Amino acid sequence: MRGADVRAYLRRCAAEIERHRVYLTRLDAVLGDGDHGDNMAIGLQAIGELLEAYPLETSPGELLRAVGHRLATTVGGASGPLYGTALIEAGLVAGTAPSLDWPLIARMLDAAARGLARRGRCVVGDKTILDTLKPAADAAVAGDTPGRMLMAAWRGMRSTRPLVARRGLALRLGARSAGHLDPGAVSCFILLSAMAR
Amino acid sequence: MNDVALHDRIASLEQEVRRAFEDAQREADAMFAQYQLSQLLASGGRPADLANVVVAEIVRVCGAAACTLLLREPGATLFRQTAATSGAPTLAADDGPLSQDEVSRSATTTEAILLPLGEEPPEGFLALWPAAGSRLDPDGVRVVQLSRHELAVAFRSAQLRETLDRERQELTAIVNGATDAIIQVDEDCRIVRINPAASQLLGQFSDASIGRRCSDVLRCAEAGAHAEDACPLAEVIQSGRPIAYREAAVLDASGVVTCVAGGYSRAASEPVGRVRATAILRDISAVRALEQLREGFVATISHELRTPLALIRGYTDTLLHLQLGPGEERHYLDRIDQATQRLTTLVTEILDIAHLQADPLILERRPVSFAALVARLRGDLVATSQDARVATTQLEDLPLLEVDPVRIGQVLENVVGNALKYAPPDSPITIGAIASAEWLTVTIDDEGLGIPESDRALVLEPFHRAHNVRESNIQGTGLGLYICRRLLEAHGGKLWVGDRPDALSGTRVSFTLPLLKGETA
Repeated sequence: MRGADVRAYLRRCAAEIERHRVYLTRLDAVLGDGDHGDNMAIGLQAIGELLEAYPLETSPGELLRAVGHRLATTVGGASGPLYGTALIEAGLVAGTAPSLDWPLIARMLDAAARGLARRGRCVVGDKTILDTLKPAADAAVAGDTPGRMLMAAWRGMRSTRPLVARRGLALRLGARSAGHLDPGAVSCFILLSAMAR
Repeated sequence: MNDVALHDRIASLEQEVRRAFEDAQREADAMFAQYQLSQLLASGGRPADLANVVVAEIVRVCGAAACTLLLREPGATLFRQTAATSGAPTLAADDGPLSQDEVSRSATTTEAILLPLGEEPPEGFLALWPAAGSRLDPDGVRVVQLSRHELAVAFRSAQLRETLDRERQELTAIVNGATDAIIQVDEDCRIVRINPAASQLLGQFSDASIGRRCSDVLRCAEAGAHAEDACPLAEVIQSGRPIAYREAAVLDASGVVTCVAGGYSRAASEPVGRVRATAILRDISAVRALEQLREGFVATISHELRTPLALIRGYTDTLLHLQLGPGEERHYLDRIDQATQRLTTLVTEILDIAHLQADPLILERRPVSFAALVARLRGDLVATSQDARVATTQLEDLPLLEVDPVRIGQVLENVVGNALKYAPPDSPITIGAIASAEWLTVTIDDEGLGIPESDRALVLEPFHRAHNVRESNIQGTGLGLYICRRLLEAHGGKLWVGDRPDALSGTRVSFTLPLLKGETA
């Protein structure tokens, strides 16, 4: 996966998030402040312009770090800093490597999950993005194929439905937060599935 | 610089960069934690709910084992535990309020780290307990310390909001529960608030009235109360002076005019540029009707008393000043006697009404048979040879009544007397009775003029006579049926008038009497 592939992946992310924008916002209206889909779509649209500013030979790691910084500053709510952190951490692991192979991507996913957990002070089971990202990273690190990694992410996303939220605005709902998918977990699955394609 | 020194220098610089990166990362983590805490605080909610969420978040941020939040009630000096995570040591033995010193002492005793919220004197305290063998996350504690003013403001706002909500609910309950109509308008006389009593008075849903001009909803001008430019609400908005009492009229959705009276005022304290005027109005139709009734009563009494008195005076003058033959004298004395009888009846009935209005009316109830009451009535009618006109159905086997026999005798006499008076001479009057579970229903049928349907409810009110008998020459005061109704109501019964069931012309007067307990049909 070279720089051009990373650019294509990020554009796919923007398109997929735009496609599911209303759904994500509807999920967030139940648990949060009802803007997750809109915020993510706006942030990922801003990435398109950012990518144009970087020369074609820019390494994948540098691109991901730049995108992470942009997301952290353009996406509203908690998801911007969290996704931004995840991408920056992944970019740091990628370093200056001109291309990314699957083992390196696995380590990047792991770093992204750890960075996100640290920043959000969350653990698996808190009903957050991490519930999708961590199992995906674990599967990749364990040497699973991208398809299996995606299956792990999907199961992680689905696991958020019965959970009682322990982080973010959904914390206010207490037991009433159970029975709904976490919008962050869903958007994370969308971003990972864009990678698997 | 040799290679080794250069290598060490590079390693040192790399270490410095790594440390700087980690510091920046920690700083960013702290900022994010502070942001998340702020988001929770901004999400509002009741103080207790917010407190529960915040203590859970702070436990997470500080890596604490437990956390308790104590808040000062608005205007109070003591602190009360508002929320605590599970496992938090007890600070107050009986959950009662604590002074600031007591909070400090309890925190020391339980080895809590105490963080005051807000300025001195603090609005509250956060007590944090580290897990056994570990310490609190210093970055997390720093985040909480940085947020202490925000926490204080958020909880004070939540407390004020809760107080405001409670007061608003109480005020709304008072306004909505008021039996007086309460209508509030803005500076353009458009309705901004209307209570259920006002909606009922106007026959409109409150939602349909909001935003409309009061002149279109109350329709005072159409009701003939005042011109639109003399609206009392507009007047108080203009002048700022309240109107303590003013009478008006409103026209409801179905076109019925209702007389109202009440006060009008402009809101005493209002934000700049927002004017509100309020009318508190009461339906005074009943008062007006009573006034009219009283005026009518006085006028009727005066007329009814003066007429026989004038006759007596006239005949007496004639007897005193003219030489009359014995036949004429006899005639005049008969007329004086009739006028005196009429006066006596009238005064008796007026005294009866006065007695009936005494609350409670004293009744001497005792077991009595309806047949005995009718027999007594027949006996009274023998003197005027009217007894033959009264026919009865089978009355002997009826259960006993528990009534005041004098009062019910008076009712029978009055109703049968009316029948005899208004029915053609020699026409029969039929008294019937049917017993049910607890009541005896009595019917008295005549073949008289009948009572027009429009007058049937009114003839049970004082001084009202049906228009067909007013047009006849038959004299009456219009008090008899009213007295009967009140006497029967005092017994728990009721009286009503209607047509005869056999399609003959005339009237059926019906009333109910209570049976003696244990007596059934």
